Amino acid sequence: MQVLWYAVFFAALGWLVLTIQNRKRLVAVTLVGVMVVTLVGAPQPAQAQGGLLSAIQAVLNVINGLLKTALTSINSVRSAMNTWMQTIVYPLQLINQARALVTQIIGQYRTLMSNIFHINLNSATLPKPQALEAVIRDHQVNNFANLTATFGNTYGVIPVSTAANPTDRAMSDMDDALALDNLKMLKASDQATDIELQSADTLEDAASQTAPGSAPFLTATALTSGIHSQALTQKLLAAELRQEAARIAHRNELRKENAANTTQMRGILVNLLQHN
Amino acid sequence: MKRVSEVLKRGTSWLLSHKLRTALLTVVLVLTAPWPARAQFGLDPCCAMLAAGLSSIQSALTSVVGGGLNQILNVDQSMQQFQQAVVWPQNLINQAKALVAALQGNFSQIQNLMRIPINSATLPASQQLEQVLLSRNPNQIAQASSAYTSLYGPVPAPTAASPQVLNMVDMTDAAAQAAMKRAIEIDALADLELQAASQLNQGIQNAAPGSAPIIEAQADAWLIRANAYTQAATADLMRLRAVDLANASADIKMGATNTTNLRQALANLLQHN
Repeated sequence: MQVLWYAVFFAALGWLVLTIQNRKRLVAVTLVGVMVVTLVGAPQPAQAQGGLLSAIQAVLNVINGLLKTALTSINSVRSAMNTWMQTIVYPLQLINQARALVTQIIGQYRTLMSNIFHINLNSATLPKPQALEAVIRDHQVNNFANLTATFGNTYGVIPVSTAANPTDRAMSDMDDALALDNLKMLKASDQATDIELQSADTLEDAASQTAPGSAPFLTATALTSGIHSQALTQKLLAAELRQEAARIAHRNELRKENAANTTQMRGILVNLLQHN
Repeated sequence: MKRVSEVLKRGTSWLLSHKLRTALLTVVLVLTAPWPARAQFGLDPCCAMLAAGLSSIQSALTSVVGGGLNQILNVDQSMQQFQQAVVWPQNLINQAKALVAALQGNFSQIQNLMRIPINSATLPASQQLEQVLLSRNPNQIAQASSAYTSLYGPVPAPTAASPQVLNMVDMTDAAAQAAMKRAIEIDALADLELQAASQLNQGIQNAAPGSAPIIEAQADAWLIRANAYTQAATADLMRLRAVDLANASADIKMGATNTTNLRQALANLLQHN
């Protein structure tokens, strides 16, 4: 735009200089024209260089002040966190110590406890009880028929219908049934206990090699094993409840029978006295 | 072409005739024409200052910001390496998950063992009661009393025994029946616990190290619940034994009363004779 204006004014000056004949006018027009085109063509004033310097200095101040402080602080915090994690929360030395402790406890107790647990408890001396004892302690669930047979051999069978009254036969059958039920349940429970012990060993072995981040899986599955274990305990308690209930029900039935017999005997005695 | 050369010849002659004015205009043009700005190369003191400033900024960015970020990066890399190698090693996490899956097999075996039929009664009344007792079905609790009565008989009629005996008999029947009903309940609850524990274990197999503790917390809650049921069963067992003990005591008391009565009757009889 400046060049355009300059060209216009310079063209006008040129035309005037070349066309004016009067010497005085020529000098005057030339002077005025020179002033005008000087004004038009003069370069725009440059901005002072002090503003640029102060801007650069300001940026440098921000970098050396705010940014440096912030980055130093972040670095300090992260370094402190790193140190804290490695020395306080997850110190490798203590992690390894914990693993070593698990291994040491395995070595110290597992075999010892297993040996205690597997001491032979069989104590019967006669052939039939020995056979029964062997079956009830074999941790197997595929020989219930054998259990029933050896139980019958040891404790006898239910009397035939002509050998006892129906109530006594029923009592005897129920008592035998609940005893056999529980013996079967105990065989299953013994096997379940073996599996639980295997699970505990497996978990303990894994604990000796686990990391803090994988341990929660073991803890969680150990807890579910604990629930299983509680459920098994409850099954055994339920069996014991049935057995105890049957035992006192049997005694109670005898009490009822005694009452009936007493009533019957009183009647007989009254009849006898009346006849005398 | 001819014309152009003619115009040039005329212009040249005109300029030669106005030498002074032409020179004047040339001088004015040279002095006053707006020259383009010079390029920002090193010779300009302004550009030199700018270059020095930019160089300082670059240096500051490189040393202060770049250096600081590099330090942070080093710390972060060290943390990442530590977390991946020591705290959350992927191979150990996978091993733990594999172990959880292996234990699921053990749980299934235990569940199957607990489902093996163990019925053993041979006569109809005892078979019926045994079937109810081993049903693990809470809906069959209602049938327990009738099955019990058909095997063990009802409480005697009021004229058939003394009130004390009748009370003892009724209380004992009640305790026995309640224990049998509790046994059915506990069996059913234990089945549900086994089922829930297997579900939880499957959840653990699909969990992340950060989510496994959530399942662990639920398993903890289930364990507390299971303990509570175990305590309830133990309590019923203790009640049963308490009733049994009380019966033994009552037998002694009734024996003493009967002996006293008999002694009195014999004394009366001797006096009459």
